[in-house]
Amino acid sequence: MPAPVRCNPKTVVPAVALLALLAAAAPAGAGNGGFAPVPPESPNAEGITESFWLVSSICLGIFLLVEGLLIAFVIRYRRRNRPRDADGAQIHGSSALELAWTAFPVVLLVVIATFVFVKLPGIQDVPAASAGRENLEIEVIGTQFTWEYRYPNGVIAVDRLRVPQGRTVELHVTAPDWDVIHSWWIPALGGKIDAIPGRVNETWFRADRTGVFDGQCAELCGIYHAKMTAAAEVMPASEFDAWLEERGTQQADGSSPLGEETWEGSCAKCHGLDGEGGYGPRIAGTTLIDDTEAIEQLLRNGRGNMPPVGRDWDDAQIDALTSYLEQNLGG
Amino acid sequence: MAVDVQQPRVPSWQRGRVAGWLVTVDHKRIGILYIATAGLFFAISGFLALLIRSQLATADGGVVTGNSYNEVVTMHGTGMVFFVIVPILAGLGNYLVPLMIGASDMAFPRLNALSYWLFAFGGIVFCASFFAAGGAANTGWTAYPPLSVLAQGNGQDLWILSLHILTLSSAAGAINFIVTIHNMRARGMSWMRLPLFVWSIEIYAAMLLIILPVLSAGLTLLLLERQFPDTFHFFVPEGGGSPILFQHVFWFFGHPEVYVMILPAMGIISEILPVFARKPIFGYKAIALSTVAIGFFSLLVWAHHMFTVGLPTYLNIWFMLASMVIAVPTGIKIFNWLATLWHGNISLDTAMLFALGFVSIFTIGGLSGIYLAAFPIDWQVHDTYFVVAHFHYVLFGGSVFAILGGLFYWWPKIFGRFLSEKLGKWAFTLIFIGFNVTFFPQHLLGLLGMPRRVYTYRDDGLWEAYNLVSTIGSYVMGLGFVFFLVAIVRSRHGRRAGNDPWQGDTLEWYTTSPPPPHNFDDVPYVTSARPLYDLRRRKRREGATT
Repeated sequence: MPAPVRCNPKTVVPAVALLALLAAAAPAGAGNGGFAPVPPESPNAEGITESFWLVSSICLGIFLLVEGLLIAFVIRYRRRNRPRDADGAQIHGSSALELAWTAFPVVLLVVIATFVFVKLPGIQDVPAASAGRENLEIEVIGTQFTWEYRYPNGVIAVDRLRVPQGRTVELHVTAPDWDVIHSWWIPALGGKIDAIPGRVNETWFRADRTGVFDGQCAELCGIYHAKMTAAAEVMPASEFDAWLEERGTQQADGSSPLGEETWEGSCAKCHGLDGEGGYGPRIAGTTLIDDTEAIEQLLRNGRGNMPPVGRDWDDAQIDALTSYLEQNLGG
Repeated sequence: MAVDVQQPRVPSWQRGRVAGWLVTVDHKRIGILYIATAGLFFAISGFLALLIRSQLATADGGVVTGNSYNEVVTMHGTGMVFFVIVPILAGLGNYLVPLMIGASDMAFPRLNALSYWLFAFGGIVFCASFFAAGGAANTGWTAYPPLSVLAQGNGQDLWILSLHILTLSSAAGAINFIVTIHNMRARGMSWMRLPLFVWSIEIYAAMLLIILPVLSAGLTLLLLERQFPDTFHFFVPEGGGSPILFQHVFWFFGHPEVYVMILPAMGIISEILPVFARKPIFGYKAIALSTVAIGFFSLLVWAHHMFTVGLPTYLNIWFMLASMVIAVPTGIKIFNWLATLWHGNISLDTAMLFALGFVSIFTIGGLSGIYLAAFPIDWQVHDTYFVVAHFHYVLFGGSVFAILGGLFYWWPKIFGRFLSEKLGKWAFTLIFIGFNVTFFPQHLLGLLGMPRRVYTYRDDGLWEAYNLVSTIGSYVMGLGFVFFLVAIVRSRHGRRAGNDPWQGDTLEWYTTSPPPPHNFDDVPYVTSARPLYDLRRRKRREGATT
């Protein structure tokens, strides 16, 4: 026997209003402030942020409803002067209500799922290349604890990814067979995708504004996981083309900063920026520095805790590193 | 009806104060041992949590090194999941299930003792791993290969062994629960008159039986590949293995495990709310069936932890939809709990405060789960502090709040004395506020781009501010637990409780507090899901007529 519904508006309305006010004031006061994903700079990231806002508006509604009712009921039906063991209304349930609060969430979930499906192609599918605007394909390789990028013309860069503005960039993300799982992620440029040994994953972005966007590895990959940072520098298209070409020439004649980048990305995190030692042993000033052969052996095979970071490097990269070591860390 | 309780002959040495506990097969003593041991692990894992927060108070904290940080994170997570929440629920189940169904003990008392001692032994191995060559395991509670295969030292091996032992313990315990619940219910206690906590333990046990063998298999493969890397190639791609295989295996276990930890918590809430609102639970059948539904669907959603590994889109879609489906039975529970309060006579004792805190916090944890189920959004927030916030809202704000509420509720039954309400309310206030201050900002950190499991982070104003706030909150929570601890110590001389101090509805309140070794001299015929309510009403009516 259902008792007459008596929702006291005097208690419910102010409680709900207060919560709504708080919820609305918080993001307003803090700008974006973490109340939404990092402002998107690429269409795929935009699609995700839009989905985020849809889910957020529905969740906020349910949150206000549930917490509002909870607070209202506790205030309205608290004991006051009644004896502790006085019975409340002996209501055992209501099929109509059960049906309602089964159907209501189903409807909301259908709305969310539909919205996500509509947005999905814009988030996931790589836009087709148009005439004169070919997609730029870059190989992204995660190793402990650095990101390596390989451009179509053979240029290799470490940790800082340089890309042209306004052009679709396709990333083939992977990790070497002997390494561990990493996860590629620049929040402003879209969601993350794991770099898994022995497997190539695809993702993409198209940055419409120049600037440097930060990110970092998002899958625990060992002691310096926290230091496995990445940055994407979006350059004007012409500037990028010039950079790529110059870097290609430098790499061919051995004058590129690849040695330094490799040192800072692959070696310095464990051996210290000046080779002074840290988690890994001191290198600066040791006899090893001048023994190119021994260094190559070490890089290609690893030893103890040291992974074989250089197993897949070509000779140019090994040479770039060894000559950097000789010039900067020799005894 | 006089019951002749035959006391088994016990050798005198087994009756000592210490020996009595060591050799006990009494489900109540075993339950207390479980709860106390898990409480100890809670203190250890909680201390590790405070270390984590202390390290992260500033962007470049120097409390622990990067390597120890990974150990601390791994041991905190593993400890809380495997050695705190699951066993403490096993302890409450052990103590309460026979009492709630009017039985004199569990079906297999010795197996029950074996379960406990395996758990304790597993815990010792777990703790010992801190002293292993190369330190404790440092690859996260998920222990993804290849990282966990390549990890040097013995910490990871001991981690695997401790979980192996625990798996045996839990499986034996689960069988015991199922047999007990199916066969030892009081006369008249049909399935639709079973206390909702017992329902939740039934599903908890069934799920454990399904998922534990999968975990064991995964751990065995991991151990083999670690020990004989030249012979076995399950997970490391160099020899032809697949690292993703382990993730499937782990999460097939790992996701239902989350529901193993939350369903009994929900069962506790379904016991506390009606008693303190002086009402029957609203929608008993809906709550019982939603427990079954959640248990079933939780077996079908595991790869929503793997949306970033690059699964085919049709799989992502399946796992998104299946995960969303779980929101429906969960919503049913929350709305039924709210309706239970409606037109009640609500007493705000500490147990009730924790139960209400559970409802308010778990709602947030449930809602943040929707973001994670929608896989494109998950691509942003996966493996960030958003996820950390989400599962703490579910497992701390959810499970731990329910456990604390349950302890305040059943303490008088277990020990015959109340926990101090005054200290309890202080503890609740501090833990509730501290919890939200700790974990709410972590949602924001995740959205700002902070990954989980990092010992240092970007030196950015907002990142540092939110992290500092979170750390302060964790200390407030820590203080709240000090109050709780004092309440426990003081309860030795606390107010004495009668058989039925809260005017409860279920059979455990029918016997004395604490109950005698054989539990009941007699058990009333069970006429509804609230046998004691019926009994009180009958007595009142008889009192009125005579």
